[in-house]
Amino acid sequence: MAALITHSPILIIAIPLLAAFLTLPIGMASKKARNALVIVSLTFVAFLVFALARDISINGIHIYTLGATSPDLTTPTGFMVPVRIILEVDGMSILMGIIWSIVSLAAAIYSLSHIASETGQNRFYTLLLLMVTGGFGMMFTGDLFNLFVFLEIASISGAALIAFRTRSADTQEGGFKYIVVSAIAGLMVLFAIGLLYAQYNLLNIGALAQVIQYTTLDKIALALLLIAFAMKTGMVPLHLWFPDAYSVAPASITGMLVITSHACMYAAFRVCFTLYGGVIDAPVVGWILIVFGLLTMFVGVTMAVYQKDVMRFMSYHAISQLGYMWVGVGVGLAVLGNPALLATYGRDAISGGIFHILNHAMYKPLLFFTGGALFHYTGTRDLTKMGGLAHKMKWTTILYIIGTLSISGIPPLNGFSSKILIYESVFRFNPILTIIGIIVSILTLASFTKAFHSAFMGAELPEYKEGKEVPKSMIIAMMILAAGIVFITLFPSLIVDWAIHPAADALIDQGAYINAVTGAVP
Amino acid sequence: MTSILESGYAFWNPIIWIIAFVVVMVIVYFFRRRGQKQYKKDTAQARIFLCGEEVPEAGQRHIRVGNIYWGFFETLKEYYNQVLRPHTGIINDYILWFVAVTAISVIVLLIAGLAK
Repeated sequence: MAALITHSPILIIAIPLLAAFLTLPIGMASKKARNALVIVSLTFVAFLVFALARDISINGIHIYTLGATSPDLTTPTGFMVPVRIILEVDGMSILMGIIWSIVSLAAAIYSLSHIASETGQNRFYTLLLLMVTGGFGMMFTGDLFNLFVFLEIASISGAALIAFRTRSADTQEGGFKYIVVSAIAGLMVLFAIGLLYAQYNLLNIGALAQVIQYTTLDKIALALLLIAFAMKTGMVPLHLWFPDAYSVAPASITGMLVITSHACMYAAFRVCFTLYGGVIDAPVVGWILIVFGLLTMFVGVTMAVYQKDVMRFMSYHAISQLGYMWVGVGVGLAVLGNPALLATYGRDAISGGIFHILNHAMYKPLLFFTGGALFHYTGTRDLTKMGGLAHKMKWTTILYIIGTLSISGIPPLNGFSSKILIYESVFRFNPILTIIGIIVSILTLASFTKAFHSAFMGAELPEYKEGKEVPKSMIIAMMILAAGIVFITLFPSLIVDWAIHPAADALIDQGAYINAVTGAVP
Repeated sequence: MTSILESGYAFWNPIIWIIAFVVVMVIVYFFRRRGQKQYKKDTAQARIFLCGEEVPEAGQRHIRVGNIYWGFFETLKEYYNQVLRPHTGIINDYILWFVAVTAISVIVLLIAGLAK
């Protein structure tokens, strides 16, 4: 078991990668064996992630050096700096890993029925597992160039999955937009990495953080990294591609794409706090995040109210909710250089933002899955053609209500726990932020009520009288996420103490991240 | 207690909220049980009444998504005109926004650096 935990960071990345390439030959022989391979590999990966999380909670940051005689030997003999590929998993990365393992497993289970009637299923699961590999790689890597490589893996597989249903033109357009936006963002990330490498001859995040000077080139690199990752998360006004792409993908993939957005947000936080943490002009960058975060919250929700396509409606809400995270973490960043304010409310604001990532990762894929269930039942995403579906889709209705109450921040659901943490902490920074947050929450509830009425309420419509509730695997996948919501709802403090505060502290404590690689605090 | 979330300013306990909710539901149920039980099902007593007008079929009487919040959109018409304008669906425009936001961010960071 000890060896398994020691090698778990690379196993968590390598197992889905290996399974991705096995899916095709096994799938050609047996569909059941292929499905079993996908579910078993993702379940085992989830087990490894939780085992690694337990280890990190006891022993601190977990380092894994590829190709070294010992995984914790970061600097080879005769070298002054780390040159090998290093995976560095701390409280923040493992929280993202936990989220990714749960959602990807739920998405794979959901896909078993959701894409059962589609052609090209072997390729679908290969791409799904490659996306899982890319996501874990982004979360666990301690190396900037590998961050770019894993970003590309996740983006290319994501684009192919968006365009998976080749029979309709909108999926091809969505996939095309996603790959263009991802390629531009990836290119800018690579350019920024080049700027840093040219100056410091380093790619390791911890080693770079130790020597970075915040020169003019560093500032340009920071802007490129920050805005490229922000575009991938759908930050307003760079969100325009987001609903076009997310609304046309199979619902299971849309749920996973939400987490890849979180992974890009994680990368942006890692850049601001860990890479530039010691030199960054924190109030200025913090305010940039806050202003764009507020725009994201407000424009996202007002655009969502306007939508008539259930998946576009959900996509705009995903954008809006991401704004809360930018604002929470932005406030924490703005006071990063002031230990008194950081202790008073900055840490709580960062924790609130991170807690909202976790909550969003449970309720947003759940809502996308319910949107997929509506599409599965009615054959349309158009809310104007729906109505009275609660009569036939009882489980979907209940699960939609759970997701709706959670995203709207209605007590006692988990969305409320993270929102109250954000509201109360950012209120002490600037009360206007909290007021806007509450208005956005009210609009969120109003728009979900509208969609609920349109799709589920009313008398049974003649065209939908003959249908049946969606298959069991789709219900089970939605229940996994709903169970996550219920657990976080009942034990918010347990989650905050065990996962959220360590994640926030991992962002704040730049020295610990550097020390784990270089063995010396700057 | 694993249920009490300290927000630094106050606290939040979902268990207390759930208990309060259950108590309210019990009270509501108590009053509901005291309501009229003698109505006859499948008679005019239980049917939809629209001032004597004929009740439309299920498909016709369902209020569709396009008719909800009409006043909200009418009031915010100008806002929506402005906010819908960048949503062209053209990828070139999307990338232009990226270039513009990146340029603004670089300028802000450089000016902030000069001001120090």
